Amino acid sequence: MRKGNPWLSVLFWTLISLATLFPIYWLFVISVKPAVELFSTPSIWLTEIYWQNYVDVLNNRTLRGYMVNSLVISSGNAVLCTTLGFFACYALSRFDLGGKESIFFWTITNRMAPPAVFLLPLFLLLTQVYRVGDFSLADTRIGMILIYCTFNLPFAIWTLRPTLDGIPKELDEAAYVDGASPWKVITEVVFPLARPGLAVTLILTWVFAWNEYLLAATLTNFNARTLTTGLSEYVTTTGTNWGIMAAISVFTLIPALIVFSLVQRHIVAGLTFGAVKG
Amino acid sequence: MHSKTLGWILLAPTLLILFLFGVVPFIYVVFVSFHQWNPFGANPNMVFNWANNYRRVVFDAQFITSLQVTAAFVFFAVTSQLILGYALAQAFMRDFPGKSFFRTIHTLPLIMAPIIVGSVWKLMTTPSIGIIPNLLSNWFGYDLNIGQSATQAFITTVVMDIWHWTPLVTLTMIAALVSLPPDPFEQAQIDGANRRQIFWHITLPMIRPAILATLFIRLMDAMRTVDEVLMLTGGGPGSATRYVGVHIFKEVFPRTNYGYGSAISVVVLYLTIVVCWLMYVGLIAPRNKGKG
Amino acid sequence: MKPERRPGFLPIQTNWFDRLFISVVLWVALSLFWLRFLEPLGLSIWICVAISLILAAVIIRRG
Repeated sequence: MRKGNPWLSVLFWTLISLATLFPIYWLFVISVKPAVELFSTPSIWLTEIYWQNYVDVLNNRTLRGYMVNSLVISSGNAVLCTTLGFFACYALSRFDLGGKESIFFWTITNRMAPPAVFLLPLFLLLTQVYRVGDFSLADTRIGMILIYCTFNLPFAIWTLRPTLDGIPKELDEAAYVDGASPWKVITEVVFPLARPGLAVTLILTWVFAWNEYLLAATLTNFNARTLTTGLSEYVTTTGTNWGIMAAISVFTLIPALIVFSLVQRHIVAGLTFGAVKG
Repeated sequence: MHSKTLGWILLAPTLLILFLFGVVPFIYVVFVSFHQWNPFGANPNMVFNWANNYRRVVFDAQFITSLQVTAAFVFFAVTSQLILGYALAQAFMRDFPGKSFFRTIHTLPLIMAPIIVGSVWKLMTTPSIGIIPNLLSNWFGYDLNIGQSATQAFITTVVMDIWHWTPLVTLTMIAALVSLPPDPFEQAQIDGANRRQIFWHITLPMIRPAILATLFIRLMDAMRTVDEVLMLTGGGPGSATRYVGVHIFKEVFPRTNYGYGSAISVVVLYLTIVVCWLMYVGLIAPRNKGKG
Repeated sequence: MKPERRPGFLPIQTNWFDRLFISVVLWVALSLFWLRFLEPLGLSIWICVAISLILAAVIIRRG
């Protein structure tokens, strides 16, 4: 630790924090102004708050549908990825499977691949190949839940592996000796001990799925469109409804902020594949 | 102990999903890229046409431009983030009140959806409603219009990326700096080394692993930036901010020329893999070998 | 991975999979370069394929 006037540091970090927070504050300012006031001289201060944009968003049936889709898809995806990731990590950590370290490394390459490259093949596969009779995965919630696994499942495996490796093997061996079935061992011995790690994984996968835009924008038409795609629909070349756009952005941001307050300490580790403990 | 079969059963759903949505699309896109296929064209069937799609890709001026602007974007954004992030981390290495509070605020942009970041910056920089063009013209008489000036649009996307991702670099650097042992620094001070010497000969070599890991992650992410830019500039004006991901989204995907689109996707994937692999082999692997 | 007994000519330690990967990467790079600059001069792409295959064989056996 170097010496120096601590209040200078406080001043410096206050300025940095203002730079960080101001764009978010400005988003809020735009969202609570009536359309006519937007184009008069932009003012930093709020004189009165106008909630109509939020009411309009909530009254819009299409956007309400998008919100439900977003909730269903990200919750379904988070539960699926955390469950499968838990099973996979249990297998990787407790069984002597041939080539398991290669498998572990291979899963993470799935997350590194640029999603833009997969737009076209996923679109073609969903519409033409992955279909049973009349049912195709294109533009369905279940299809999006499965597709989001390509980036969230590797993430879940990557973050859960240390948790599972950290639970002593002797515990499940003792349970097996007592005659417990594998299912009982997983659900009653390992699961309670892994709960904190599982909670963090669940929350972070949820927010990654909630935040996703590119795949949702290209692989859905109407039935499974999410809130992030709804946001881009409000930006048109002819004239953007800025207030509504800001209000949708705030709605999209709120869950992320709640999540942020819950798992703030784990975000950096999550974003760097655990390379940094944050 | 218990059977391996159970292990494979537990692993099976994961492998199946990643196979269906990770491996199959990869094989499929390579397969389609060697075909002429346009369902709405003169011949809607898939016809094998050797490497003709790739013959077009290497002469596609628009695509090559998008590669160039991507490279420029990645270079400027990642370099600034590393320098700025390191400086901020150093500024954090003192005792002052409210440290964890400031750190929390600093982490905030990391959790925001890229599309929201794009939307926030659009609201900040659109000339009619944004605060930045307004202040710039009132205070400095400077005209900021990212819808018209290619340079301004490019710089704005870089600034946006800096705003969004510098905290990641700062936090990884803080983690690295905190874990440094104090002895070498005290010794160097006793020996009369100045601050620059300490930085180049002690700090930098010791946090090199953290810097390289951060650089690697940031490069990979910056190369595939799409959502923010799509929202902020839509790739315009002209091709100033049409980075490869945006190019695929706006120019390749909407056309129904699937064979050609696949060829572009394959080339982008190829370039991504090569860059990551070169980074890994050239920077990260030698360090591990030296260690063990 | 088991380390190789005899060091190859590549600057890094590799196993057969790494060398196959390097060969494919070089093949694609050479092909794209060929399509852009040499094929317009009238050199067939098959020459490039032949060169790449020879290169691949050398890398995989001796790398």
